[in-house]
Amino acid sequence: MAKGKGMKAKRSTQVLDIFRLFLAEFKRAWIQFKRYPAESIGGVFIITSVFYGLFLSAQYIAGPIQFGDKLDSVIVGYLLWSLSIFVITDIAGTLQSEAQTGTLEQLFLTSFGARTLFLVRAIADLAIQLILLGVILSIIMVLTGRYLSFPIALILPLGTVLMGAYGLGFVMGGISLLFKRIQQVLAIFQFALLFLLTAPTEEWSGIGHIVGYFLPMSPGAGLLRNLMARDAGLNGGALAIALLNGAVYLTIGLLLFGWAERETKRRGKLGGY
Amino acid sequence: MALLQVTHLQKHYGNQGKRIRAVDDVSLNLAAGEVLAFLGPNGAGKTTTIKMIAGLIVPDRGQVAVVGKNPHRDPSALRSLGAVLEGNRNLYWRLTPEENLEYFGVLRGLSAREARLRGRRLLERFELMHKRTTVVQQLSRGMQQKVAIAVALIHEPQLILLDEPTLGLDVEATQTVKRLVREIAAEGRGILLTTHQLDIAEELSDRVAVIRQGQIVAEKQTAELIQEFSSSAYRIELEQSIGVDRQAKLAQLGLEIDLSSQTLHLADTELLYAVLAILQPLPILRIERDRANLTDIFLQLVQEQASGEG
Repeated sequence: MAKGKGMKAKRSTQVLDIFRLFLAEFKRAWIQFKRYPAESIGGVFIITSVFYGLFLSAQYIAGPIQFGDKLDSVIVGYLLWSLSIFVITDIAGTLQSEAQTGTLEQLFLTSFGARTLFLVRAIADLAIQLILLGVILSIIMVLTGRYLSFPIALILPLGTVLMGAYGLGFVMGGISLLFKRIQQVLAIFQFALLFLLTAPTEEWSGIGHIVGYFLPMSPGAGLLRNLMARDAGLNGGALAIALLNGAVYLTIGLLLFGWAERETKRRGKLGGY
Repeated sequence: MALLQVTHLQKHYGNQGKRIRAVDDVSLNLAAGEVLAFLGPNGAGKTTTIKMIAGLIVPDRGQVAVVGKNPHRDPSALRSLGAVLEGNRNLYWRLTPEENLEYFGVLRGLSAREARLRGRRLLERFELMHKRTTVVQQLSRGMQQKVAIAVALIHEPQLILLDEPTLGLDVEATQTVKRLVREIAAEGRGILLTTHQLDIAEELSDRVAVIRQGQIVAEKQTAELIQEFSSSAYRIELEQSIGVDRQAKLAQLGLEIDLSSQTLHLADTELLYAVLAILQPLPILRIERDRANLTDIFLQLVQEQASGEG
């Protein structure tokens, strides 16, 4: 009994510590974002231009993913595309830039463990990106007078896609730890991402349909298509499969990253670039 | 219990099909309040050893225990360890000293509030309060190094690893870092220090370990090592030359002294007072026991081994 209580107290302390870490990562990323406006304004300008273009119905700049012709669907397609790329490249990018600036080894001295740290950091980075996107979208909606309405249910499949994206992000991070310069791999990977997010696996039949369940992010993207383009409701079974798919890829990513971390430490190449 | 126990550490690297021995059977201990200078030529295995202690390189064999915990298996061991690593910036250059202290404090398990409070105390102590809101990039090299040491101390670890902490610092900054090392050790923390500046090692360390080609070739109390390498001879320096009379008297004792020389070397210490009686009342500038310094000892140890192998 006492042991059980002790475990519970320990777990809640760990959760509190991780929440503190999230806030610290958020603050660090936010300070750097606002302290160097030239870099931040570049990013804001690109996002603003793309969304403004989308609102002016120039759908061709929406990227390759579209969930129908409605503005809402076009915006969701673009969000999914840009957020997935952001998440998948974020961890590898962090590892490379920290190795270059000479702070990577200090990060590995954390008692949280590298996986927890980089996952929390990637979530904090995503939160800043989402806030930025939210603010820009709101301003554009006010300026153009065109308002979007997203079904709240899309958060769940979006979450499963992002879980898969974090899994792939950790795979890329692991490759980056082992091989250091992986810009070419990341560029090639964008094509694979295009296939994963656009292949209508939910419409495939037979073995193809089953294969679709196993492809990373694909079940969640299918659910989003159903919600946005086909106005279908959220199917509980399909959502469970998408959730399982996301969880499995996240686990695979974390395991591979853990292996790559150990292997890099065995080779003595953690800090090198 | 020793703060740090390193036993039989080994590390080999593969390079183009060859196996290179980086660290070979290194064992070290460090107690609370002790400063151990870990010395060796470039490529001798110092940094590899330090990184194995910090859990950043996995050893092929051997054990590391920081306050009894293995940092390779138990990440909580890292809460007892702080490090300033050579060749690293160790800090976010785009953040200010106080922001770095807060961020790394949380990373080491403190709450943001606690990290801010401790950060402020460290900034005061390190005389950096006036620079607390300046981004690290704009600080001098000496100040950056002080901030890096402060960051290593933010979670009040018992063991501090300092890899070349005075590298590239000017005289004043070097003096400050030396003072800080002394203060940190006086608080009861153990410090493992590597440096190429052997005078600094001699001044700061309680104990010295010399590593060469991955192996420890000497490990002793600093004073003991210096004593061991010092001869028992005396050196007497006079203000003027001794003159013919005294030269003859000293020759009777078996000492051959050049007339023009103002310095006497006395190998047989039993003759000291007899010699002083002969020299009386000539003014003596200095009389001292021949004492080796760490630089001579280091060179001798390293070259001895090299010639032994050659």
